[in-house]
Amino acid sequence: MATSAGNEGRFGAGAPLRQRDLPALAHGRGALTVLLCAAVLLSLLRVPWGDDLVRPGGVAMVGQVLGGMLKPDLAPEVLGKAAAAAWQTIAYAVTGMTVALAMALPLGALASGTLVRNPVLRRVTMVLARGSLGLLRAIHELVWAWLFVAALGLSPVAAIAALAIPYAGILGRIYADLLNDVPPQPVTALQTTGAGLAITFLYARIPLALPDMISYTFYRFECGLRSAAILSFVGLGGLGFQIQIALDDLLFGRVATYLLVLVALILAVDTWSSQVRRRLTQ
Amino acid sequence: MNLVTAPATGTPVQSPASGFLRASLGVTAVLVAASWWFILAGGGQAGAMAGGDSFDQALRFLRGFVGLAEDGTIARTRSGEALVPAYLQWDRWVVMAGLAIETLAMSVLAIALAGVGMLCTVLPAARTAATGVLLLGSPTWAGRVTYWLVRAMYILTRGIPELVWAMLLLFVFALGILPGALALGIHNLGIVGKLCAEVVEDLNPRPIQALRTSGASSAQVVLYGVLPQVLPQFLTYVVYRWEVIIRTTIVVGFVSAGGLGREFRLAMSYFHYTDIALILMVYVLLVIAVDLIGAGLRRLAV
Amino acid sequence: MFELIGVTKRYGSHVALVPLDLTIADGETVAIVGPSGSGKTTLLHLLAGVVQPDRGVLAIAGRNARSIPHGRELSRLAGLMHQQYDLVPTLSVLHNVLAGRLGEWGFFKALFSLAFPQERQQAFEALERVGIGAKLYERTSRLSGGEQQRVALARLLLQNPRAILADEPVSSVDPARAEDIVRLLVQVAGEGQHTLVASLHSVPLALAHFQRVIGLRLGELAFDLPAHAVQQHHLADLYVLDQQTMPLVGEAVGH
Repeated sequence: MATSAGNEGRFGAGAPLRQRDLPALAHGRGALTVLLCAAVLLSLLRVPWGDDLVRPGGVAMVGQVLGGMLKPDLAPEVLGKAAAAAWQTIAYAVTGMTVALAMALPLGALASGTLVRNPVLRRVTMVLARGSLGLLRAIHELVWAWLFVAALGLSPVAAIAALAIPYAGILGRIYADLLNDVPPQPVTALQTTGAGLAITFLYARIPLALPDMISYTFYRFECGLRSAAILSFVGLGGLGFQIQIALDDLLFGRVATYLLVLVALILAVDTWSSQVRRRLTQ
Repeated sequence: MNLVTAPATGTPVQSPASGFLRASLGVTAVLVAASWWFILAGGGQAGAMAGGDSFDQALRFLRGFVGLAEDGTIARTRSGEALVPAYLQWDRWVVMAGLAIETLAMSVLAIALAGVGMLCTVLPAARTAATGVLLLGSPTWAGRVTYWLVRAMYILTRGIPELVWAMLLLFVFALGILPGALALGIHNLGIVGKLCAEVVEDLNPRPIQALRTSGASSAQVVLYGVLPQVLPQFLTYVVYRWEVIIRTTIVVGFVSAGGLGREFRLAMSYFHYTDIALILMVYVLLVIAVDLIGAGLRRLAV
Repeated sequence: MFELIGVTKRYGSHVALVPLDLTIADGETVAIVGPSGSGKTTLLHLLAGVVQPDRGVLAIAGRNARSIPHGRELSRLAGLMHQQYDLVPTLSVLHNVLAGRLGEWGFFKALFSLAFPQERQQAFEALERVGIGAKLYERTSRLSGGEQQRVALARLLLQNPRAILADEPVSSVDPARAEDIVRLLVQVAGEGQHTLVASLHSVPLALAHFQRVIGLRLGELAFDLPAHAVQQHHLADLYVLDQQTMPLVGEAVGH
């Protein structure tokens, strides 16, 4: 070993390392690894492994599904249906997102705790607003959709409300964080001129956080589109509904067409939103 | 909203960036207007906007939800005994706890599948790796092809909703948590893959160059330079997706993939509305629990 | 140790080095000074074998630099210490130091070492030599700039190249620590009989600690003298375009 040869004599000062004193990272990351592996193993045990895991004829079905998937049904009638369903999905997504935005802005502002001066009152409003935002986003949009359909029937209101509620929760939480995390100098600068909390909020916090807020909203719109497509599985019209009908009829070619339209739609919004975000936050 | 064009203020000549943002703002406005017009005009949808009729319906549903009869009195069986709502029955809670564990197992399997799949594919999916910048090699033909293949796989897996994956997989697998876990895992593979590939692309290349000059091979650079830098961020994303997955388990359950979702569907079909109230309570508790565990895991990661 | 004959290097249209002749003997300690953009980094990268000359011949330890394969062989000859330390912030200090051994280790030893650190004694000794043995298990990102620079030096000690090349080793360290680091660098190089070539912004440090000082200006050799022979006018010529550095130069020669 050539390493530091010739100098070994000098290091007597530092006590030689013992194999025992293992690095601190061993307990943090090591424990984490063991924990995660154990969780996965335990979960695997919950799966009823056995011969009846695969449906009778299931393997043959794979061929049928794949065959249909590789041959999208491009008949004009199917394409027309796909276009109408795509537009309906977009409309649900956009209207749902606008309602979500209208709910998220005030809740997010309250949850950020930047609008109230009294510390006790601020604490209370923050906890309340954050708690309600958490409840809003705890339940998945499709569950909301089903509940609303059960309560209201197959109405567009069900779709819009189902989408708006969880997205208001998600957007509001992020808005609160963004409004809180703005650089402090402009805010204090404005405060020293005697501006109140409301003025500081309007003239410093909002403008400072706005690019990030818009950027995040755009990103969420992409998710909203996917959610809107899923929502229609409970019977509300749209791409998901068409996919479900086609699957029930085992028309895998049609499924492929609708899925392609959905993927293309999401890809388009993805590209658009990432372009917007790049320019906003550069 | 005038801040959208903020980059242009201060410079007299409009930058192309602001032109794009202006156009995007216009498109957004048109989309919002057209969508609302479409919905308010009937939207090709059978049901109209909520009227007095649907208000009654909603009220009846809500009464059922808390365990009241349609007229607002306490629900009774035909023989006249009072019906105890499911959420007040201990044994129903025990049943639901079992289903919650099943749901949790499904989410863990799903995120494990997505995470392992991501780890196996993420390096070639980073543009910097495909062009040779990452490991300071020269770009190879094979590297570019794998890059596009993996990226296309990511787009496809995340573009197809987990619910559709579940429905497709249920043609092959018997009912249970496995098809649900597979569906969630496949869909999230595309999402974490994309997120983590961006992490690799944004990696600080300087320590890697330093390792290179001290004589490390490509594989060693991955071990000592790439993975240590990206793993904490990877874990953050994976945990974040796990929190999303636990919310979505109920949805794949709807198509009979097991867990709380399947029970939800059954209760809906039998109009057992107090069962639904109980399921939702357990579900929210599960989501909160996973959020707390996730926060703990993230703290361990940093 | 190094021999350059008519070496040129350009990046696009920017000429980094005009034809340069230079010889550095085994065991010498050499400081390269000069204003920003004078080609100091390019010269060090050439000596490290990271980049190849456009024209001319560069010999490292008597071998043509082009013929030395990257990886193990090159890493035994020359080790480069970078301006921003270039450590992996999320790894422990121990692994960052052991990374100096990667040229010698195979893949599986490297993999195994991440879980069960190998050659910990050497890593610890190297850290002791640079004065931060106690930081062995710290996370590198928690260390101060000066400490990180010491870790980078310890990594080089484990790599144990014949020549240590340091690119602005103290540019990211606060001035009070800069002198310590340079002294340590020279001392460590002397103990291990390494050749040391370092580029420095600070002329006083170069004059005080190195045997030989090379002045570069616009990719050209301005002077190449023993440290004690460097005069005020050499430095004035060197920094003639760089007004801001002038006071520093005056102070340096005044001592």
